Amino acid sequence: MPTNLSSRWWLDILIPIASIVGLLLVWWLVVVAFHIPSFVLPTPMATFQAIGSDWATIAQGILVTSQSFVLGFVIGSALGFLLAIVMSQSELLYRFLYPVLIITQAIPVVAIGAALVIWLGFGLAPKLFIVGLIVFFPVLVNVLDGLHSVDRDSINLARAMGASRWKIFTLVRLPATFTPLFSALKMSATFSVTGAVLAESTASTTGGLGVYLAIQQSRFNTAGVFAAIVVLASIGLITFLLITSWEIAATPWRRTSVVPRRRRFGKTLAAAASGTGEQASVEAVHSLSRP
Amino acid sequence: MTTTTASPVKIELRDIVQRFDANLALDNTSLTINEGEFVSVVGPSGCGKSTLFNILSGILTPTEGHAFIDGQDITGQPGHVGYMLQKDLLLPWKSALENITLGKALHGRVSTQDRQDAADMARRYGLGDFLNHFPHAMSGGMRQRVALMRTLSFARDVMLLDEPFGALDSQTRLEMQEWLLQVWQETGSTILFVTHDVEEAIFLSDRVVVMSPRPGRIQEIINVDIERPRRIRDLTDPRFMAYKARALELIYGNAKAGA
Ligand SMILES: Nc1ncnc2c1ncn2[C@@H]1O[C@H](COP(=O)(O)OP(=O)(O)OP(=O)(O)O)[C@@H](O)[C@H]1O
Ligand SMILES: [Mg+2]
Repeated sequence: MPTNLSSRWWLDILIPIASIVGLLLVWWLVVVAFHIPSFVLPTPMATFQAIGSDWATIAQGILVTSQSFVLGFVIGSALGFLLAIVMSQSELLYRFLYPVLIITQAIPVVAIGAALVIWLGFGLAPKLFIVGLIVFFPVLVNVLDGLHSVDRDSINLARAMGASRWKIFTLVRLPATFTPLFSALKMSATFSVTGAVLAESTASTTGGLGVYLAIQQSRFNTAGVFAAIVVLASIGLITFLLITSWEIAATPWRRTSVVPRRRRFGKTLAAAASGTGEQASVEAVHSLSRP
Repeated sequence: MTTTTASPVKIELRDIVQRFDANLALDNTSLTINEGEFVSVVGPSGCGKSTLFNILSGILTPTEGHAFIDGQDITGQPGHVGYMLQKDLLLPWKSALENITLGKALHGRVSTQDRQDAADMARRYGLGDFLNHFPHAMSGGMRQRVALMRTLSFARDVMLLDEPFGALDSQTRLEMQEWLLQVWQETGSTILFVTHDVEEAIFLSDRVVVMSPRPGRIQEIINVDIERPRRIRDLTDPRFMAYKARALELIYGNAKAGA
């Protein structure tokens, strides 16, 4: 982890912005330099214009698609997380369920789209199913890995202290799943947007972005197609950013050496002395708390 | 087993036998330790030292025999003794202070008083500036200090230390030994200490239990009759040399005879 870079917050913001601007610039340069006609690849400007001119429909599409995407994402990851916990409690269950889960992953989502419509109808259900299926497996596998990564001796130590199974689970095993859980969520964030679009193209009658994309495609409106692509990519990107922020807040030990302010011992005094550095504030607490 | 102190018996292992399938890890082992004693256990790898500790800490129920603390049968019952290993086993997501109060957290809530007590102890033992640090931001020596304080804060009465300083460099190790003796004197704890280092065992202990493997059993108990506080120069005291020679002979003597 490049701590020397991430310690300056403005670099955390500036560098990604610069890289996105750079990407748009390359896109624009390619179109201009190779004289690519706009029906093959529109310029970034033309694409943004297309988004602006059709904003009412696209905004509606964002709402519809986000709904199935967010719901499916939350349900899929929650189920993956819960099943991982259940499977970690029983070796037998683990061995029994693992092959079944691998099979669910081997099924191509595209292929079952039509079947899902027959089973679940044209509503939200088949979309949630497809998005959920995409997050479900990475979350399950990563959380299981996290639960198994806990040192046997750590658990023995907690047992020697007379801790209950539940306390050992919540204090020793559960926090070990955070880091792998967030990896899985970040990995699937962008991928499940694709899942939502795919689901809409097979099972949607309402105006989601997937439907919008299909319509623009059938009209050979390349700018419209790219408008949809850019909006979809943005949804994936924003989700990724939200998850990353949550990860930073939830796993502070991975990037800082001191616990967050609210967990600090002598935090009020430390807060009063903030800005003078960690050492100074701790010293202040130290000297003040002595009678 | 010839101590004639007036202190009451703190720990008793009575006729312990531990089998792992066909492997006899401990064969008919009995040991009595008085309150406030510092006893070390040495012996070759696999002679059952850690097994003995697992039985005393209650996480392993022996095939036969019983373990007592303060006369109470605690065989197979965890939660009566503090336990520390070579690995510090600090939880990476908890601060030094939160790791010290882990025992309390595992039994419910950590009160403000618990935190205050832990902080006072940490400051007294030179960890004041690192109360709020995550383990990854601390040196190996500091982490072991935190681990020992976690043990102290959970059960200062009886502490089982299984090669606690085995992973430290010799400099830090010496500091930690002196610190441990200081803690022991201040708290009056009963300490059972496993090490591979015969010098460390003699330097720290009132008695040194020498074990032999296959099957694991107690071979001899050496009474270390050197006054406290111990000093570095005691390491070259003729009595010290004699104890060391005896212990090494017990551990390696058989191997030499066989060669
Ligand atoms: N849970 C277990 N299952 C099976 N065998 C075990 C188990 N724990 C220990 N043993 C065996 O019991 C014997 C004693 O092991 P133990 O860990 O107590 O030795 P030790 O004296 O602590 O060795 P070391 O100095 O290497 O730490 C060894 O032969 C070991 O393989
Ligand atoms: Mg051992």
